Amino acid sequence: MKKNNALLKIPYGTRDFLPEEAAAKRIIEEKLAELFSAWGYDEVVTPTMEYLDTLTMGSGGNQTEHLFKLFDRHNSSLALRHEMTTPIARLVSGRLKEQPSPVKLAYLSSAFRYEEAQAGRQCEFHQGGVELMGSGSAAADAEVIALAIESLRAAGLKNFRLFLGQVEFVSGIMEQYQLSDKQKKEVKTCVEGRDLVGLNHLADGLEATDAAKEAIKKIPLLCGVEETLQAAYAIALNPQSRRALDNLSEIYELLQAYDVAQYVVFDLGLLRDFSYYTGMVFEVYTEGLGYPLCGGGRYDHLLADFGHPASATGFALGIERLLLAMERQGCEMAPQATDVYLGYGVSSLTAAIKEAKRRRAAGQKVELATMPQTQEDAAKKQQERGCRELVYIP
Amino acid sequence: MEYLTVALPKGKLFKPSAELLEKIGYTADGLSDKSRKLIITNEEKKVRFIITKTADVPTYVEYGAADIGVIGKDVLTESGKDVYELLDLGFGKCHLMMAVPKEQKRAKLTDYAYTRVATKFPHIAEEFFTRQGMQMEYINLGGSIELGPVVGLSESIVDIVETGTTLKENGLEEIAYIMDATARLIANRVSFKLKFARIGNMVTALSKLVGKEGQP
Repeated sequence: MKKNNALLKIPYGTRDFLPEEAAAKRIIEEKLAELFSAWGYDEVVTPTMEYLDTLTMGSGGNQTEHLFKLFDRHNSSLALRHEMTTPIARLVSGRLKEQPSPVKLAYLSSAFRYEEAQAGRQCEFHQGGVELMGSGSAAADAEVIALAIESLRAAGLKNFRLFLGQVEFVSGIMEQYQLSDKQKKEVKTCVEGRDLVGLNHLADGLEATDAAKEAIKKIPLLCGVEETLQAAYAIALNPQSRRALDNLSEIYELLQAYDVAQYVVFDLGLLRDFSYYTGMVFEVYTEGLGYPLCGGGRYDHLLADFGHPASATGFALGIERLLLAMERQGCEMAPQATDVYLGYGVSSLTAAIKEAKRRRAAGQKVELATMPQTQEDAAKKQQERGCRELVYIP
Repeated sequence: MEYLTVALPKGKLFKPSAELLEKIGYTADGLSDKSRKLIITNEEKKVRFIITKTADVPTYVEYGAADIGVIGKDVLTESGKDVYELLDLGFGKCHLMMAVPKEQKRAKLTDYAYTRVATKFPHIAEEFFTRQGMQMEYINLGGSIELGPVVGLSESIVDIVETGTTLKENGLEEIAYIMDATARLIANRVSFKLKFARIGNMVTALSKLVGKEGQP
């Protein structure tokens, strides 16, 4: 008895998608695939596992403890992919090197990361996203952001906000006040984690002017619509930060042209993984979900790590997170009922197969009975299976 | 406007928290930790207070059942919850330390390696001892930690101290300081973003008050 229970268990942080859940996931993925393709992004599929060294390229090193690791038969270290950007960067730096730039790629795939599992946050999860490699323009960034918003809209999510930041803004301010590398890292960690108490403490401990301290303390509170940018300009007294804000203004104007600016909130304390991102960064949040359901940004150094320097920008959205957010917001998920239950009498299976074939070709969803039935039994089955209509061939 | 939900801990932090929030206009009729109602709403201001057990405040805030909350830094650190820490409110000051029976005090801190330590803060304690290169046996207790060494349950304790009176009365002596703690204003990560206008203003208003009172 005990043994059987163990056989029915699945590993920590994984889940089964039952028919309804799988159908909802499929519908979303199809919408995303269609949208990515309409925007000129071609789908790629990469291996589920990669060499550990590939995945820990760049800032992936921070991720080592979150990776599922294994060995191949030559004892090389492998790992399951924990996201799709690094494998795509490898691909673009390798077999797609000769491809005329920019390269626009999309994916829908699973990824693996050791996490403390919560609803919508599992160790095996599914992502959809795009990478735009070979363009450093604000137009490329705006396209990626607009596509992220359109993806969520296409999926049917109603309420969400996209928080937009620029990592160079914070770097510029710290450069301006000549913080040491250690101090920079501490400040960034406090800003990203919104540890305002820690940040205030750090700022007060700096050998700097009061203006500098106030500016640093203010960073995580620069969050809001257009007037936030003006407030940010007021403390950005260096070219690097001003360039970052100019970049955000330009992106924002383009997002207005895409008609999606109403979803955007500026959040200059947003840094994400700051050893990795080099320009604009964004995260999408929605009521009732304690973590971002979509995130992305510009990462201009990753491809150089693979020996093929090129600027790049992109986003990934969590499919399970999106499904959960939609469920919590009561968004409509398309019904999945079968159109026809096709029953048949003792010697009519051949005719029934032909009828099923004809109706399926016409686009109906048809469930064919697995054995002959009376009409009454077929009607009962139709009810039980939730099919819309009964067709019976005596 | 949507409700802003505030989690307040029962016990000694309740009164100063409620008073401070009242000064910036966040209060409700019948707000008291003796109240039998666990949710108290101010319809006019769109604020809702939930009153919970101290150790549960970070949990309510992490999951977004409360947008913001007030909690001691000691409990917050121990909980390891992923919340934003917005403001040091200055009250509820205490510190975490390690204490041992005065009579049997050993020469060095490291002489206590591999001994038993009774505590309500096993995570903080473990982090502290690991930094000293010490492995310990942790005995988790829910209260009256000072009793541990007295009845021979442990060689030492890790606990919070305000005045030190309880330690003295039980023949204990502080031998290592671990961290300071005061009450903190914390926020849910998503609420901080989605309700930024209200929470941001609140932080600004509170920081003026706390700053003023903090000065001698």
